[in-house]
Amino acid sequence: VSLDPFNAFLYRNDEKGDWRVAVKDVIDVAGMPTTAASKVLHRVPDRDAECIARLRAAGATIVGKLNTHEFAFGALTNSPHFGPALNPWDPERTTGGSSGGSGAAVAAGLVEVALGTDTAGSIRIPAALCGVTGHRPTVGLVPVDGVVPVAWTLDAVGPLARTADECRRALEIMAGRTLQAEAPRRIGLVTRLFEEANPAVAAVCEDAARLLGDAEPVELPLLDEIATITQLVMLPEAAAVHTGWLRTRLADYGPDVRARALAGLLLPSTAYVTGRRARNWVRSSWERELAEFDLLVAPAMPIVAPRLDAVPPDYRLLIMPYNSPAALLGLPVTVVPCGLVDGLPVALSLTGRAGEDGVTLAAAEQFQRQFEPEAPRLYTNPVSADERS
Amino acid sequence: MGTESSLVSALREQARQQGVEPTDEDLEGVLEFLTRILPALADIEERLPPETAP
Repeated sequence: VSLDPFNAFLYRNDEKGDWRVAVKDVIDVAGMPTTAASKVLHRVPDRDAECIARLRAAGATIVGKLNTHEFAFGALTNSPHFGPALNPWDPERTTGGSSGGSGAAVAAGLVEVALGTDTAGSIRIPAALCGVTGHRPTVGLVPVDGVVPVAWTLDAVGPLARTADECRRALEIMAGRTLQAEAPRRIGLVTRLFEEANPAVAAVCEDAARLLGDAEPVELPLLDEIATITQLVMLPEAAAVHTGWLRTRLADYGPDVRARALAGLLLPSTAYVTGRRARNWVRSSWERELAEFDLLVAPAMPIVAPRLDAVPPDYRLLIMPYNSPAALLGLPVTVVPCGLVDGLPVALSLTGRAGEDGVTLAAAEQFQRQFEPEAPRLYTNPVSADERS
Repeated sequence: MGTESSLVSALREQARQQGVEPTDEDLEGVLEFLTRILPALADIEERLPPETAP
């Protein structure tokens, strides 16, 4: 029996422990290779990223490095160099990405916690498609030193785990402080994102959202523009990260990541400035129109996990409205599994105000006291209790 | 066709000036992306309140 039937790991050690944590392979762990699932990067750091050091000090056993979309720069986890992560609910389907190995490892019960990174949805997408809980923190809450950047002003490191309680525990350790545990006072339901989702997905999410309490319909200001604005910020920042390698290793990139990095390089320079200005425009519109709401609820994804051989051509465009707003504004989001459609997981996203990570987690914890997510039907846990202790 | 080929040539030159040597296929992909995003960028530039700082 393979110890990793879902190709979740890129590197694995044989350490045992009660609190097993695996790490997306863009985050440095001392003595383990960091490759970002690329052919371009291979370093073996001699020190942990700060978030890893904090987890170790709190008793975590770091058991390996997890598969990711190449350079965490895409939403599928199908690196041409390391192969796709497979969804434990149906190994012929994508985990989503970019933290797809993290979603698969938690869903399959291979670890208690997996770390991911989220630039424009990369924790939330695999959490939703793999049926696990994930938390994208407020930008800046968790240190990102020792993490391969995608886009400096958007990147966040966060946990995926079975429950919001477990996410909170890991997040508080990485953040170095206790987070508030107050329930939200005013909840907004982002009706348009329900309307635009697959009807079966939307129906499951609507039923589940009722468990959160009374909610009012809201519209997200500038939602039609936000995906574009996010691209205007993200692509030039990513191109700046990769310029040196684009000069010397261009052919070693997978085609989709190469295309995105080149697009960032060749956008007019004013595009980045406009993107940054437009981000402030969006922020001030949100503050004006949504200031009273401390939780916004929507489907985390508009579809269930697509088959690996049938990813819709417009997959990225389809999912951007669900993922770009919190990315652009650096907001915290907790994703909670909330049911199944055709035997595949569906999830809600709970978005909070900047710095109020504890509120989205508290809402998720309250939700999970009423709703217990199912484990994958193809559940395979090759790590026995003996191996763990 | 001629216009597209001259746009690809312009992108190639812009990449070369930055020390990057993409293939024609790479540049056709970039051109497709730019064709989609540049009108959206122009629309945002037009509607962006002028006092908005970066």
